[in-house]
Amino acid sequence: MLPHTEPSEISRRALLSATAFVPLSALLATAQPTPALPAAQTKALSAFVDRLIPVDELGPGALDAGVMNYIDRALAGVYANRKAGLLEGLEALDAYSQRENGSVFSDLTVPQRDAVITAVEAGAAAGFVNSAGFFAAVRSLTMEGMFGDPFYGGNRNFAGWDLIRYPGPRLAVGPPEQAMKVELKPVRISARGGEHAR
Amino acid sequence: MPVNLKPVDVAVVGLGAAGGVAVLPLVRAGLKVAGIEAGTWMDPHKDFHPDEIHNNRRHGVTTVPKVQREIPTVRANPAETARQGAASPMMNAIGGTSIHYWAQSWRLKPWDFQARSETIRRYGAGAIPQGSTLEDWPLTYQDLEPFYDTIEHEVGVSGKAGNLQGQIDPRGNIFEGPRSREYPMPPLRGSGFTDHMAETAKKLGWHPFAPPAAINSQTYQGRSGCVYHGYCSAGGCHVSAKGSTAVTTIPAALKTKNLTIFDNAQVTRIVAGNDGKVTGVLYLRNGKEYFQPAKAVLLGSYVFENSRLLLLSKSKAYPRGLSNNHGQVGRHYFAHYDSWAGNSMKALFPFDINIWYGLPAQGACVDDFADDSFDHAGLGFIGGTSMHVYTEVHPIAAAEADRFGKAPAWGSGWKKYVRENASRVAQCYLQTSTLPYESGYLDLDDQVRDPLGDPVCRVTTGGAKENEVRAGRYAQTKMEQWFREAGAISVSKGNITVAGVTTHTYGGTRMGDNPETNVTDKWGFSHEAPNLGLIGGSVFGTSGARNPTLTIQALAWRTAEHLAKNWKSIV
Repeated sequence: MLPHTEPSEISRRALLSATAFVPLSALLATAQPTPALPAAQTKALSAFVDRLIPVDELGPGALDAGVMNYIDRALAGVYANRKAGLLEGLEALDAYSQRENGSVFSDLTVPQRDAVITAVEAGAAAGFVNSAGFFAAVRSLTMEGMFGDPFYGGNRNFAGWDLIRYPGPRLAVGPPEQAMKVELKPVRISARGGEHAR
Repeated sequence: MPVNLKPVDVAVVGLGAAGGVAVLPLVRAGLKVAGIEAGTWMDPHKDFHPDEIHNNRRHGVTTVPKVQREIPTVRANPAETARQGAASPMMNAIGGTSIHYWAQSWRLKPWDFQARSETIRRYGAGAIPQGSTLEDWPLTYQDLEPFYDTIEHEVGVSGKAGNLQGQIDPRGNIFEGPRSREYPMPPLRGSGFTDHMAETAKKLGWHPFAPPAAINSQTYQGRSGCVYHGYCSAGGCHVSAKGSTAVTTIPAALKTKNLTIFDNAQVTRIVAGNDGKVTGVLYLRNGKEYFQPAKAVLLGSYVFENSRLLLLSKSKAYPRGLSNNHGQVGRHYFAHYDSWAGNSMKALFPFDINIWYGLPAQGACVDDFADDSFDHAGLGFIGGTSMHVYTEVHPIAAAEADRFGKAPAWGSGWKKYVRENASRVAQCYLQTSTLPYESGYLDLDDQVRDPLGDPVCRVTTGGAKENEVRAGRYAQTKMEQWFREAGAISVSKGNITVAGVTTHTYGGTRMGDNPETNVTDKWGFSHEAPNLGLIGGSVFGTSGARNPTLTIQALAWRTAEHLAKNWKSIV
């Protein structure tokens, strides 16, 4: 599997020297991220995080906010050591769904998915090394993708911060911004300035 | 063969909170000092961001992962197999963990130094908990007071005196020991919530105050005042308002030209001659081994590594490890009964308390139930707990938090809950005074090794102790009362147990007059190797009910000053 490459990590110099030998389209194609997880497990994970933070009358859900993008980038990089455990859990999730409901997780109805997640969360789903641990791992990644700085590829359009009414990173904070019961106008910026990676 | 370097007067191992302070009195006395540090410099403008994922989730504020390569193993008792714990909360850099700590800068209480004799005097010998190896410190609060004062002014501590030369001032902590001078800066301001909590404590008849912190409340020595932006915990300060040694004592020491910093240099052994004196240290830098000869060595590498380095440094004079001929290295180890031990609480309010911004050192404290501030008759424990409510909460942590049994952990029901309540949850920090016990100790693990092939440190906690658990539970009832009086509608309590690898560990090279039960003398020098000084929490004999760093720094300054003043007799 190719190492995950950020477009920004390809230097201008490398681009210029490389274009002498290969068409630009081919070069850009190599810059496309390779998903960290295989298609089947990506599908299962996507369906899972969609139920953890669903789209509803309170606004966007995990998928709209780019949580899968966040997780994919994290697993391909700094969280590479979590990938094997996650894959194992996702395979167990599909196997459990097959046994209980006759289909893989992503093909279940919403009530069926929720029942499966409830069992997984409680540590009551068979076939996992530790189903409660798997639930906690996915929830933790989902939370990071939803509520972390958009720099990391999630929290798209500040959907997570808006959901919990976090007023955004401020460089300096005065007493009025620390009053109780105050409605602050959200600062919709990334702490990493304009350097948004996808 | 290691490369032999030019000899220096003193090698200081580790330039963190302790070593970063110890270098200053040495170089001011004209001694040539090598500061040997596993990490390197951090750049406040480049390395410090208001970024929860970087700081708090991925522990990105560090320069090398040394502490993560040698995480101690933990077990409750010798019958168990010790397991390597989670990531170390410490970090490596010039400045060490003082770069990302909370910077709460407390003096211990007079009682903490004499807990044994004071307990016996007030409650009788039967009140000393069974199995405890508690001794009085070999120095008193009054002995350390001038050094507390020095650090408060050299590093810069914000606060309000509650006891100025015996004069009690209710704007400060009325339970503190007498201080010779006011703090150099006024306390950090409160937030709407912490002010509300302080008012509530007064209504309960308690004595709240703003806690002291090594964080500038105003411009101090050319460094900015705090900007309260909410990313202080595990984050470096981008305006250098936090008084890490990297921006205070280390730059001051460098100005004298008597300090040479060897960065990215991992000390692997301390070398001793046949006469029992240490002769220098061995370190690795870029895979190459060096020997730094020194007439004296100060070891300040945090509690686990202080004991480990001594135990690893075997020689003819010290076959069981350096300064361990009495078998005391690693003994009297204990971990604070604070939030790491589950001594924590949260409270849900029916209105927005808005603690997104600020910093953990911005808060309201109550010491009425700490130390010996209160009568313990009939309570079944000695010591007590400081209670601190504070600001700074980050979005992922707020979203992930426990829900007081009011909502599920996911789905639309969770969304509804978290939207309403993410800004309504208060946290507190409870620190219970902790004693050493016979059953708590450090040694070398017989299974787990670091990448260099050296065994990691093994922690045997000895299990949760009744005295500390009772003291913590007592404080939890007071804390609940405080939260409820302030309007909280739900309160959750942590289950108090013993902590593993944390930022608040103590002992292993305890300080005391008796060499049969202590590694260092009252100046912090080894009873066995006279030119080896130990600095850090490893010399503490009790924890007190408050953060250790100011005491670590006052002791480190005192040890270094003692070395400089008695140079000829020590080396």
